[in-house]
Amino acid sequence: MAEVTCEGRSIREINVAIKSHIRGGDNEITVRNPGGRHNLGVAILEPAHVTIEGSAGYYCGALADGSTVEVTGSAGWGLAESMLNGTAIVHGSAGNGAGAAIRGGAVIVYGDAAARAGVSMKGGLVLIGGDCGYMAGFMGQKGALIVCGDAGDAFADSMYATVCYVGGKIAGLGNDTVIEALSSADVEFLDATLERYLPFEIRKTKPSGKNFKKIVSGRRLWNFNQRDRKIWQEAL
Amino acid sequence: MCGIVGYLDKTRSNAGALGHTVLDMLNALSCRGPDSAGVALYGDTRDGKLVVRVALASRNDFDASAAKILAAAGRFGAVSDSSITDCYLRFQIGAEVCVQPLIDAVESAEPGTEVVSLGRHLEIVKQVGSPENLEATYHVSGFQGTHGLGHTRLSTESRVDLSHSQPFWGHGYPDLAVAHNGHITNYHQLRRRYEQRGIRFYTENDSEIISIYLAIQLRAGHTLEEAFESMHRDLDGSFSCVVATDSQIGFVKDQFALKPLLFTETSDFVAIATEEVAIRSAVSGNYAVREAQAKESRIWRK
Repeated sequence: MAEVTCEGRSIREINVAIKSHIRGGDNEITVRNPGGRHNLGVAILEPAHVTIEGSAGYYCGALADGSTVEVTGSAGWGLAESMLNGTAIVHGSAGNGAGAAIRGGAVIVYGDAAARAGVSMKGGLVLIGGDCGYMAGFMGQKGALIVCGDAGDAFADSMYATVCYVGGKIAGLGNDTVIEALSSADVEFLDATLERYLPFEIRKTKPSGKNFKKIVSGRRLWNFNQRDRKIWQEAL
Repeated sequence: MCGIVGYLDKTRSNAGALGHTVLDMLNALSCRGPDSAGVALYGDTRDGKLVVRVALASRNDFDASAAKILAAAGRFGAVSDSSITDCYLRFQIGAEVCVQPLIDAVESAEPGTEVVSLGRHLEIVKQVGSPENLEATYHVSGFQGTHGLGHTRLSTESRVDLSHSQPFWGHGYPDLAVAHNGHITNYHQLRRRYEQRGIRFYTENDSEIISIYLAIQLRAGHTLEEAFESMHRDLDGSFSCVVATDSQIGFVKDQFALKPLLFTETSDFVAIATEEVAIRSAVSGNYAVREAQAKESRIWRK
């Protein structure tokens, strides 16, 4: 169990300190006084557990492969952006683009997410315990986006093959979206995922798996087809 | 990339710290834009008198310019407490004066001068350079008051000088100030329309249109809430704005949520900023910060 204090240190020094603890075999690291600073705990390629006590700024836990970065406050733009594998957990809320372009792993936000959660995700899981903002799931290519609360406007716009689930209301669906019936496998997946990633105190206030809506791509924007000209004009 | 901040001290328990807090917040964002920096701070009323802050044309002799301006202003009411700090002339004048004729008289007394702010509470200080420079020149950390906002600028579309810096006063509308991060893409169209109505623009900065727009809305009798709502209809582009009047502070974010803006509210204060690091570096304590959603706006009264 190691500690890294942020005060008086540059971001580079903080991240070097985290990594030197990991190299020294200490895989439980607590980062104190983060003060909302950017790029904390980025590019950790080992299965270490980094707890950031407080709030983090932009790109927290980004470019990770196998690490767990847990933020007890809130996180700014680009939480866990381009993560290959690993877990990012935020107890508070997340800024724009949480889990943007992740290829795998899990991005868990207990509170709300601002705009564009899971934008262009290429795999993995983005789980928002609260509400999500404008254009969540935009251009999602693979993986699952779960929103336990309400979703904002233009939800799941222009997706490829990300599967989205919303527990609350959807302010507006994006282009080329289809609401599909939940299969028993979906319900099982939702219940298991919520149980695995959300603490009981939070989970008990959320809908159960069978009460989610499932949103997938209508696949009409995947390839241009003359008979879909109208939907292309609207989308662009 | 600009940085904007806003702060409301709800309790006045920390009276005297306003300038310090706003400056701390701004300093944390100075890496977002070191071209120019400014603050709009709201102090206690000075027996209901108006405080006028005038940027003097730098090529002139400040004392001689100030004398001409004070003489021109003196025809509208009793002028008091005049002082010059760097290129700013500040003075107070009786509350009953008609604002627009006073501004016209001041600005025509000496070519190149600009009334940067006017109000019973509002004082705007802005200049080219980083927030650190702002403190070094004007000691804004000593300013006492209830609420304020700040801006640190990365210029992307118009020149870098004092006049093009933010916050913008809602020219002609006392105590209205705006700090904006973003771009207004229908700026030229709106500007043409407003200029045809005789409204004067002081800069080529697209952000200025927001202060002009809000001044028009408020003067027409709309509330700030209504003005924020109609911004989504009338302004194109991206905007995260912090806006203050003599009694209110609030923010509005555009429908595409293209620019960051976060806020927190506790029983003691409200803080709004482009990045959380600004709030954390200025105010200690246990509070949660959340990013505003697309189209979200909030207004608090002092």
